Amino acid sequence: MSARYLLRRLAQLVPAVAGIVLVAFVIIHVAPGDPVLALAGQHGDVAYYAFMRAKFGLNRPLPEQLVVYAANVVRGDLGTSYVHGRPVVAVVLERLPATLLLMTTSLLASSLAGIALGVTAARRADRTADLLVRFAALVGYATPSFWLAQIAALTLALGTGLFPVQGISDARQAWTGWRYVGDVVHHLALPALVLAANELALTTRLVRAGVLDALTTDYIRTARAKGLPEPAVVRHALRNALLPVVTVIGGRIGMLFTGAVLVETVFAWPGLGLLLLSSIQTRDTPVLLALFLLVSLAVILTNVITDLTYAWLDPRIRYD
Amino acid sequence: MPGSTRVFGMTSILRSASGVVGVALTGAFTLLAVLAHVVAPTDPFASVGSSLTPPSRAHTFGTDDLGRDVFSGIVHGTRTSLTVMLAVVAIASILGVGVGAVAGYRGGGVDDLLMRGTEAVQIVPRFFLAVIVIALFGPGLDRVVLVLGLTSWPAIARVVRAETLSLVRREFVDAAHALGATTWRIVFRHVLPNALPTALVVISLNAASVILLEAGLGFIGLGDPRSISLGYLANNAQRFMRIAWWMTLFPGAAIALAVLGLNLVGDALSDLADPRRRRSGLPRPGA
Amino acid sequence: MRGVPGWIAAAALVVLVAATGPRAQETPARGGTLVVAISADPGHLNPAITTSGATHTAAELLYNGLLGRDERGDAIPDLAESWTIEQAGAVYRFRLRDDVTWHDGTRFTSADVKFSFEEVLLKFHARTKASMSSALAGIETPDDRTVVFRFKQPYAPLLLQLDATEAPIVAKHVYQASDPQTNPANTQPIGTGPFKFTSYRKGAEIRLARNPTYFKKGLPLLDELVMRVIPDPGTQVLALENGEVDFLWGVPGPDQARLKADARFRMAQTSYHPGGSNCIMTVSFNFERPLLKDVRVRRAIAQGLDREAFLRQVLFGEGRVAAAPISSEMAWAHARNLTMPSFDRAEAERLLDAAGWKKERDATRVARGVPGIAYGTRLAIDFVHFPAFSKYGELMRQQLGAVGIDVTPRPLEPAVFAPTVFKDRNFDTNVISYCNGPDPEIGVRRMYYSSQIGPAPFTNAAAYRNDRVDALFDLAGRTVEREKRTPIYRQIQEIVVQDLPYYWLVETPTTRAWSAKCGGFKAWTGLFAEAAFCKR
Repeated sequence: MSARYLLRRLAQLVPAVAGIVLVAFVIIHVAPGDPVLALAGQHGDVAYYAFMRAKFGLNRPLPEQLVVYAANVVRGDLGTSYVHGRPVVAVVLERLPATLLLMTTSLLASSLAGIALGVTAARRADRTADLLVRFAALVGYATPSFWLAQIAALTLALGTGLFPVQGISDARQAWTGWRYVGDVVHHLALPALVLAANELALTTRLVRAGVLDALTTDYIRTARAKGLPEPAVVRHALRNALLPVVTVIGGRIGMLFTGAVLVETVFAWPGLGLLLLSSIQTRDTPVLLALFLLVSLAVILTNVITDLTYAWLDPRIRYD
Repeated sequence: MPGSTRVFGMTSILRSASGVVGVALTGAFTLLAVLAHVVAPTDPFASVGSSLTPPSRAHTFGTDDLGRDVFSGIVHGTRTSLTVMLAVVAIASILGVGVGAVAGYRGGGVDDLLMRGTEAVQIVPRFFLAVIVIALFGPGLDRVVLVLGLTSWPAIARVVRAETLSLVRREFVDAAHALGATTWRIVFRHVLPNALPTALVVISLNAASVILLEAGLGFIGLGDPRSISLGYLANNAQRFMRIAWWMTLFPGAAIALAVLGLNLVGDALSDLADPRRRRSGLPRPGA
Repeated sequence: MRGVPGWIAAAALVVLVAATGPRAQETPARGGTLVVAISADPGHLNPAITTSGATHTAAELLYNGLLGRDERGDAIPDLAESWTIEQAGAVYRFRLRDDVTWHDGTRFTSADVKFSFEEVLLKFHARTKASMSSALAGIETPDDRTVVFRFKQPYAPLLLQLDATEAPIVAKHVYQASDPQTNPANTQPIGTGPFKFTSYRKGAEIRLARNPTYFKKGLPLLDELVMRVIPDPGTQVLALENGEVDFLWGVPGPDQARLKADARFRMAQTSYHPGGSNCIMTVSFNFERPLLKDVRVRRAIAQGLDREAFLRQVLFGEGRVAAAPISSEMAWAHARNLTMPSFDRAEAERLLDAAGWKKERDATRVARGVPGIAYGTRLAIDFVHFPAFSKYGELMRQQLGAVGIDVTPRPLEPAVFAPTVFKDRNFDTNVISYCNGPDPEIGVRRMYYSSQIGPAPFTNAAAYRNDRVDALFDLAGRTVEREKRTPIYRQIQEIVVQDLPYYWLVETPTTRAWSAKCGGFKAWTGLFAEAAFCKR
């Protein structure tokens, strides 16, 4: 992968971010009511609205306003949330780590499980195991995540008494050090499991398809004929199958955030999900807009990273 | 002619077991939706029994918390959800075909610009966009349709563009022009039929997310209480999960079966489109 | 007793008293941590600048008011140890305790009270501002232990407006020379209450610790109190059943039967809520709409509604059908044995027929000779409501449809609901949870008083005007003796039940639940855990 490709890919960040800012801008101005309400929320006073009007140049012609808005976004200045009494961006960033923890854990879990299940399904293609795996994965995908969450809480937490149903840590005891880490992991288990179950279907399907495909190529058949042991064959096929998995993660980040929001609400996981919920209830639109921009940015960045990873993994692909 | 063999070939979807199951399920749901008033003449909004009664002879799937018939809710809910899906598909298809055909046909700078735009739209997280739109414009299924329609077209555009490009490369277009065909005629008669199987895959994968998105929005309080859709039923049942299992099980099974059917059809179609290509149903990167 | 030496009798008496006195009863356990589930992150912890339920639920334990409330809703001493009412209720003189300190050690004085009202409550607390600011002439503090409220006219409701929910007292030395809305003390509060602030992790939890210098000796009993933010009501119940939390502010209807039958939990129903007490789900009729001008139509709507069905299907039996316009929780103001419109479909149909609305082939009635309405107009009205109240809309539609009225529910989210109903007045009927508050002057007057028709939210939605009712409210607001106010409120209720600007559906109490290991909760006040304990 050439440096030229790397630079070119990074340069594509700019129009993508610009597109997102444009979408947000359009919505703010197309929505009924005064745009300042969307930018400053319902709870401000006259002085604050005047301040926000000046900051976002709402009295200037639209194209100028767009530039001002874009500049503010890039600077990370989206005003203050009256509900929280602090800058919007600070409010959102403060909740981000908990959600990132949840998402990366689920991504890891669903990827590993997806690979394992996909390989199993591919090796026993069209037999019972394959159908079972595909069916189970599909059920995980088709079930609304908040249902899955509540069923998990009911059966795996309350039912067995092994897991907690809410929060990121124990309410009664404030642990420190490694015991705190253990406590968080204990609380992370169920939410991450539920989120992973939702995501499993796609990964399983992709790996299965990729492995099946690779297993039928001449290269593999030759290897088998030459007596290469089966695990090695599977490993080669797997390397091929991983490429689309990597690509598709970028596309799935948006859905992963969505799932995280719903799962967080049920398990009271203190991340962006709970922030979204409370901002909806209080109609704190500046925070909602900031969340939209943040998630979009995360999707863009993930796409860049996965593209670069893909190019690195498979040098046969030429991107000029 | 390149177009017709593919169209003909679509009936071979029935050769695989999963294809049959998929078509059967999707067909059954479509039939249910079309014949909703015949199959379930009870008004799904009307209180016809006592609240929270389990399945019985009078009410095959029981009643909900307002005494409404769950079976009737599911049948009419399927109708609503299917209508929403169709509306989303219609919007996405019109936009996708338009953008894809123009991009593939014109090529060059126009193509580049349109593809950048397509990428930008593909990035937009649909759930969060729907949240903002509903927070600013108010709840309603029509907003959900618009948001999903306006964000789902990129995948279709890519497919149409790919097909258009391949035809352009084959100088097929020049020959057709020489015979007097107009551009749009070429698009409709040749590009679309070839693009259809892959596009259908994309559509079927997207369709399921409509119901789930709608249920998710309802769960956080942004649903449309005026329409009974499968998403509404899923959301409404959640509070009663522990005391009325039938409110959860039957709509849940309906959603799962609908999603399963659509996905199986999608799988079978993608096998058809290119049996030797990866059966992932997704356009390759860079395509 | 004869023959027994005095000292033996005395000793026996002492032993007897010791054995049967409080010591012999179970001593509530000291210490322990109580974990409480709250539904929303409060944002900040200053209950004096907001009426938000979330903030008050989380923060009231950190503060006190001049007075408190007992189980019956009557005023009891808190920061003020005694009071006198002078000039027939135009002057209230409070004597404050002298043993109160703020959590940072500073002494509490009357200056704090004056400051709290003048600079904070009367500027930012919606209910206190709305009811007191025009009536108050001034607040005087002749010495550190005395506060005098002077009103322009006798002011009846004051004593019930002085608890931590309606008028929490904040520290002058913390808030002076700053904007109360942005002062950092809002997230690191300093109060006088039974618990002091330890930490606040946004969106997750608030931790409070026992205030060792609390002025009520021996209280609180708990060492620590943790409030966990758990938005999903189902998860709250699961957390209680799993032992992760000990106290719930509200148990969802579907789960009540199960918890009631479970010996591990105790429950108590109350109409008090930190965000608004004694609430009644009320249907408003927009008097400015021609279709609703005839009282027979409004009466027909009232008689077409089966309120028992609302109670069963929407509230799962948790609540009461409203027997009068004023909540039964205020027993002295609630009109007993009032003749409210009864559920009677036949009578509703008769009234509509008499008013000129005839049933024809289509199910909806049509105007045939209704003054002011065009011949052939359908009896179709809309019903505006918060999305959360959509079940009410559903039942309205069904029940009124049965008597020939076409109702279209229009869900509007809270931010749009208020301007639509109160500013634009663009509705036929709506449903609002009108909270009566601790005194009818606080939450009831605003519904009927003619000057309360205006853009401010949750005022007189019906646009009802009745000079007699206005005069009666004025009189009730000036009469301090409760027994004299009762007949005045009765008269008001009789009139409005005849005029039907509203129809009062159901009273909506909530049910608290807690682990049986804990006890001593006061469900009727924000200082609910002041005397609470948890056995280990």
